[in-house]
Amino acid sequence: MAITGCCLVLFLCSHAAGNATLFYSTQLFQAYADQLHSHPLIVSVFSKGLFLIFAVHAITGSLLFLQNRKARGQGYKIQTRAVKNSQASSTMIYSGLLILLFALIHTAVVSFGDHGKIGITISELFDSFFVSIFYLIAFIGLALHLSHGFWSMLQTFGVNHPRYNKLISRLTYVVPVFFLLIFSAIPLLFLFGTGQ
Amino acid sequence: MTTKSIDLSLEIWRQKDSKATGDFETYTLQNISTDMSFLEMLDVLNENLTREGRDPVAFDHDCREGICGMCGAVVNGIAHGPEPETTLCQLHMRHFNSGDTLVIEPFRSRAFPIMKDLITDRSALDRIIQAGGYVSVNTGGAPDGNAIPIPSTTAELAMDAASCIGCGACVASCPNGAAMLFTGAKISQLSLLSQGQPERKERAMAMVTAMDKEGFGNCTNERECEAVCPKGISIRNIAIMNREYVKASVLG
Repeated sequence: MAITGCCLVLFLCSHAAGNATLFYSTQLFQAYADQLHSHPLIVSVFSKGLFLIFAVHAITGSLLFLQNRKARGQGYKIQTRAVKNSQASSTMIYSGLLILLFALIHTAVVSFGDHGKIGITISELFDSFFVSIFYLIAFIGLALHLSHGFWSMLQTFGVNHPRYNKLISRLTYVVPVFFLLIFSAIPLLFLFGTGQ
Repeated sequence: MTTKSIDLSLEIWRQKDSKATGDFETYTLQNISTDMSFLEMLDVLNENLTREGRDPVAFDHDCREGICGMCGAVVNGIAHGPEPETTLCQLHMRHFNSGDTLVIEPFRSRAFPIMKDLITDRSALDRIIQAGGYVSVNTGGAPDGNAIPIPSTTAELAMDAASCIGCGACVASCPNGAAMLFTGAKISQLSLLSQGQPERKERAMAMVTAMDKEGFGNCTNERECEAVCPKGISIRNIAIMNREYVKASVLG
């Protein structure tokens, strides 16, 4: 989970960087897409690799969820948590499934759409209020997922030391908020008519 | 100092044996001194039940001073009750109010089958220890206490991990029924000290394998174990275990 999660965070970084061209104009974004697709080998390797990593992450996560539910056995009559703010960790499977649903729709519409006019596809897509709202909800789900996932990834890798824990606890907020802002800015810009 | 008394309503899990399907039974207790420990309160209940000719509530206990790891139950959804870093035997009734309803359940996990009422079979933890939670020492003259210099921070970390009493509250509170805090504490306690070095890799592999074999769940870093641990053992020990396991399995 942690290794694939780490790869997916790196993908999010590159995706966010590409998206950032949209803040300038859809033309620049189109130029970026054209440039990217002029290297079919790179696109092919990365998209297939990404699909594989995403699939492994989703399948392992679901199997873990089912295994763990079985290991718990009978639940308690009084269901309570000793840890406060455990919403993100206890809802990983649900935020994960929301991201999966989003990824399926997003790739179907955008990635498998016509790359030659992806800039137009995007601006048409976000003209719809409901599509924009769906994207925003998915990004909130992603931020929730990352707020547990990022820290959890480091813990699994064995990165837990008093010297770094303060930094890690700050990053636990910074990383999801960063991706939430940079991704949701795009539908928001189009929604409020300032996107071009 | 005057002693306060409280009245309580108890809902306790009763189960005849490991095969029976249990259920909750409700009892009321009057005039429970707030100086009593939780287990003494259960003793009073059992005296009442015995006098009435009913079967007393079976629960595990031994030292009653918070160091043996024998006692434990889930009180109102929290393993060892609401007080932090406290075993059930050291939980005192002054933390409850008159009129409270206490729901008392056994430690639950697939790997901890219920034997009777609040008693669970936690021998799965013993088998994890048997798999590698030891150091093999050739007998000979006792080494000098200070012959092996160990930095005090390392000694403290090892001692923190070694304070695990193996009560199983970590497993009981984990939403996944995982025993990673227990196993992590036992692995890091030995891997931090020089005596544990020769068997370091074999230990990590064997104990993690044993843990999986017992049917415990997987850690998803929910931190519940650390929150209920009566000895305040940090999940840093799980991170240490992860490092030990990766080192042993990847580097060999």
